[in-house]
Amino acid sequence: MPVLNGKELRIVGFLCNWCSYGGADTAGTARAGQPTDLRIIRVPCSGRIDPLFIVKALLNGADGVLVSGCHPRDCHYAAGNFYARRRLEVLKQFLPVLGIDDRRFEYTWVSASEGQRWQHVVQTFTKRIHDLGPAPKLEDPEPLLKVVDMALTSLRPLGTGQKNKLDELKAAIKAKLPELDVVIGWQQGYDAARTVPLFMRTPEDVDKLVWGPFNVNNPAVYLPQYKGKKVGIVVKGCDAKSVVELLQENLINREDVTIFAMPCEGTLDMARVNQELGRYTTIDKVEYDEAGVTITADGKEHRFCMNDFAQGKCYGCTMPTAVLSDTLIGTPTEVKPGPYTPPELALLDSMSLDERLAFWRGQMERCIRCYACRNACPMCVCRDYCIAESREPHWISQEDSTRDKLFFQTIHAMHLAGRCTGCGECQRACPVGIPILALRQQIARAVAQLFDGYKSGVDPEAVPPLLGYEVEEKNIHEREWK
Amino acid sequence: MSITRFVKPEGLPAFLAHLSKDARVLAPVVKPADKRSVVFEPWKEGKEFTLEKATVPAKAAVLPQCETLVSYRKVKDKANPQNVKLELDDTPQAETTVVFAARPCDARGYVTLDRPYLKGPIADPYYKARREKLTVITLTCNSGCNTCFCHWVGGGPSSPEGSDILMTELKDGYILQGITPKGDALLEGSGLDDGADRFKEMEDVRKAAWATLVKAPNLKEAQAKVAAKFTDVDFWTRETDRCLSCGACTYFCPTCYCFNITDEGEPTSEKGGRRLRTWDNCMSPLFTREASGHNTRMEKALRMRNRVSHKFSTYPENWGTFSCNGCGRCISNCPVSLDIRQIVLDAINADKAAK
Amino acid sequence: MATQSKKEGMLRELTPRPLPQGNPYKPMAATVVETIQETGNIKTIRVVIDDPEQMANFKYEPGQVGQLSVFGAGESTFVINSPPSMKDYLQFSVMQAGEVTSTIHRLSAGDKVGVRAPLGNFFPYEDWKGKNIFFVGGGIGMAPIRTIMLHILERKKDYGKVSLLYGAKSPSDMAFSYELQGWLDNPDLDCHLCIDNPAEGWQHKVGLIPNVLTEIGPKPDNCVAVLCGPPIMIKFTLQALEKLGFQHENIVTTLEKRMKCGIGICGRCNIGSHYVCIDGPVFTLKQLNGLPPEL
Repeated sequence: MPVLNGKELRIVGFLCNWCSYGGADTAGTARAGQPTDLRIIRVPCSGRIDPLFIVKALLNGADGVLVSGCHPRDCHYAAGNFYARRRLEVLKQFLPVLGIDDRRFEYTWVSASEGQRWQHVVQTFTKRIHDLGPAPKLEDPEPLLKVVDMALTSLRPLGTGQKNKLDELKAAIKAKLPELDVVIGWQQGYDAARTVPLFMRTPEDVDKLVWGPFNVNNPAVYLPQYKGKKVGIVVKGCDAKSVVELLQENLINREDVTIFAMPCEGTLDMARVNQELGRYTTIDKVEYDEAGVTITADGKEHRFCMNDFAQGKCYGCTMPTAVLSDTLIGTPTEVKPGPYTPPELALLDSMSLDERLAFWRGQMERCIRCYACRNACPMCVCRDYCIAESREPHWISQEDSTRDKLFFQTIHAMHLAGRCTGCGECQRACPVGIPILALRQQIARAVAQLFDGYKSGVDPEAVPPLLGYEVEEKNIHEREWK
Repeated sequence: MSITRFVKPEGLPAFLAHLSKDARVLAPVVKPADKRSVVFEPWKEGKEFTLEKATVPAKAAVLPQCETLVSYRKVKDKANPQNVKLELDDTPQAETTVVFAARPCDARGYVTLDRPYLKGPIADPYYKARREKLTVITLTCNSGCNTCFCHWVGGGPSSPEGSDILMTELKDGYILQGITPKGDALLEGSGLDDGADRFKEMEDVRKAAWATLVKAPNLKEAQAKVAAKFTDVDFWTRETDRCLSCGACTYFCPTCYCFNITDEGEPTSEKGGRRLRTWDNCMSPLFTREASGHNTRMEKALRMRNRVSHKFSTYPENWGTFSCNGCGRCISNCPVSLDIRQIVLDAINADKAAK
Repeated sequence: MATQSKKEGMLRELTPRPLPQGNPYKPMAATVVETIQETGNIKTIRVVIDDPEQMANFKYEPGQVGQLSVFGAGESTFVINSPPSMKDYLQFSVMQAGEVTSTIHRLSAGDKVGVRAPLGNFFPYEDWKGKNIFFVGGGIGMAPIRTIMLHILERKKDYGKVSLLYGAKSPSDMAFSYELQGWLDNPDLDCHLCIDNPAEGWQHKVGLIPNVLTEIGPKPDNCVAVLCGPPIMIKFTLQALEKLGFQHENIVTTLEKRMKCGIGICGRCNIGSHYVCIDGPVFTLKQLNGLPPEL
């Protein structure tokens, strides 16, 4: 067999029991010669294949992964391969951001009678993998520590939101408070240069509510734990998207949630603020003006202009006001969509595949698996039973290897496909500043490209794209096997 | 008077090079990012380092995030293949290590860990092997900071507890003061200049650091008051409203020492397998969940109660001192800035507030 | 600055424990010699330590526990439920619940396991001399009761009346079924069996353990009650014993918590400042009353 001149490589094949596995059998019975690199794992349906099977194989030394199922419309279980098609295509578009060549993964459809086609597919794919050569390992490259460029231009003027009518908001909350178990908002933290989530149960609690650029936390993260209770929530535009996404997935009930909103003018990137402030003992004062804040710490003044110190997401924000609310104080700000690539993603885009692998190696090394990223994520709703810590199934070990850590990030990102609203809490929560948001951003971009610009958390009635399918997908096409 | 040496900033790399001849030197290294962090890494010639307080304390020097307790493998008797034996290897992985530029709170952390790991009814052999090979060079702090509270809990910016050498930044360089015989010996063999004439200046700098600290509240009653709050579940529920139940507070803590033991790999496989010890944290719901599903700390409030009680009431009950050293990392690294100081103060002042 | 005493060592006394294998984390290699399917979900396994010298010198007290390892799956804590006089093997009875116990259930004679034992304290049977003893075992909680009961029966002359109340959901849930007739026939033992609901052919008591216990009505004078079982049974049996007039220092129980290290470090099994793995698993109700309520 011509392609086997060199050494065998490791190719993993996931084959549907009802068609492709039979196809392979047919090829074998017909004595159709095939290269022997492929190791086949039989699955009941291509819909059973979790994209993470593929990532796990690739991160753990597979040089290629081939998935083959029944032809669309021909699924033994009616629609398994329709779901698979969406998932696998999203995965294919996701792999490059990890530094994995997407040509190392392919999926196709082969029926039980198509022995010849199976032979052709295996030969073509094996040749492709041999042309690519052995896959680079995450552990091999020298760590690459590139920093995200935060010199961004905002789609709209950013400000400190101090003209908002906070008193009106407080009055509205107080009026509603008797009907609600709790209202979630923000209050000053351990000093005036930060806020923390506030849980309002009494009018005195409501008086502690603050609004401004320090309100970085996404209060929607707390909603699922209050399911069944009457909860009020104060939201920025981005937080509201998380609320909507939770509604889309029936993780909370609309009638149980009261949404209070004000237009947001941007929030501060506390990582850069803290770095600028440096080591200090006390905050003397914090002064707001339209363009930014001035913080005096230990007698020294520090100026933070919103245009320079906002969170990355704020620069591209087109929904500063909640898309869905019960009480809106103020008028929604209109922002015209414009060119914007999230800064983390822009950094990854600028790198070669090899550089990306080296980048993640360098970044993930310092992860200590505290799972702040997971627990800060409003969409991570199974966190108490997360597969990151479970032994059944035993997806990842407790080892502190870079590979395990990156695999967890991949799990998180894949579980957020079509669900992540880009609130950025995962990255903000990371105590060691790993730019993990890039992985979620790439997934969101792939989903938008494949599914007509779909954005999660905008329409409470919309079905998240990976929970549905079209018989004829507009943007997903069978690749030719030449 | 103890042995002192003086080194100029430009002399530090040579000093580290000298140390790394016979030891693994763990030094703070900056990880550049939008949110930069400082972590301890093995230093090698030419590598840049910093003297900033690290984001992650050097706890891993004695308690690595992951280590092999026992590796296991089945071996067949060649003469009689039916005779299978289980081969177990439990050699601790311990390297001679110098931690360079820890802070006094981190150094005190080793003393906090020593008690349960070395002085309990059964000493931990892995910890012991590493601890005996550890030398701690601590940089005293020249000022307080917004999340630090070492002076609330018995420490201070120049507390010598747990350090072999205390290093203090002076105007033109660093003075190194031997604290233990181990530290003295290290300084004597270092080839650095004598620092005796800078001793007075060092004392002044240290005193000035104390002066920058915000006055500490009295925590004398903390042990009793936190213990008294144990049954007040509402208190803990309120205090932990915003807790996300992640493990940041424990994993960044220099004195949190809980761990998990898990097996990876079957003994029958070619490579055999390993029994791993990895950091674990009492904030995880799975930490105390039994196979039956029974869980004594199902709610995050009960888990935080365990953490705070351990630091301020139950560890003191066993060992006579708090197991919190006031480094403040649980506050600064918490995604929701949960403040352990506030919880303890609220417990202390609870009855006053009620009146 | 807070002033605190800085004494060396622990503030409370804990007797040092013998460590047959040196490294407390290193299991002794052992081999399964026999397995007994007790009930649908309880299996007894008997193991022998591979090193004959270690096996011959292995000593333990009734109530002490061991960490049983199946390499690849992990470790779990079980009471050694053979009496110390049994020198041929160590016996563990295991209820299937999680990953490790499921793997244990798949073991058969000849399989290799690991044992870290003995761990923890034991029943203070020396203090009970001359007293009557009333044992209460519920379900798998019979395992530790069996150890101490057999141990006491071997020394019956030192003790007063020895009684047992053993309850399970149904007859088929009764472990050690092959031993029950012997216990019933034993003149030294006043043995009561009960099941939750009536069942055909059942000739013993029917009802929940606390109710049956009240019905039997043991006299609290000069009597020690020793109980073990699921948390809910413990809770109500304690109430029943209190009603019967048992003093808290005369109620003894053995606790189960999730454990990893078994030597008081890893931080799971603590009740306040005490660790079930080194201070326990055996506690009197009086001792438990002095600890925070976290069971």
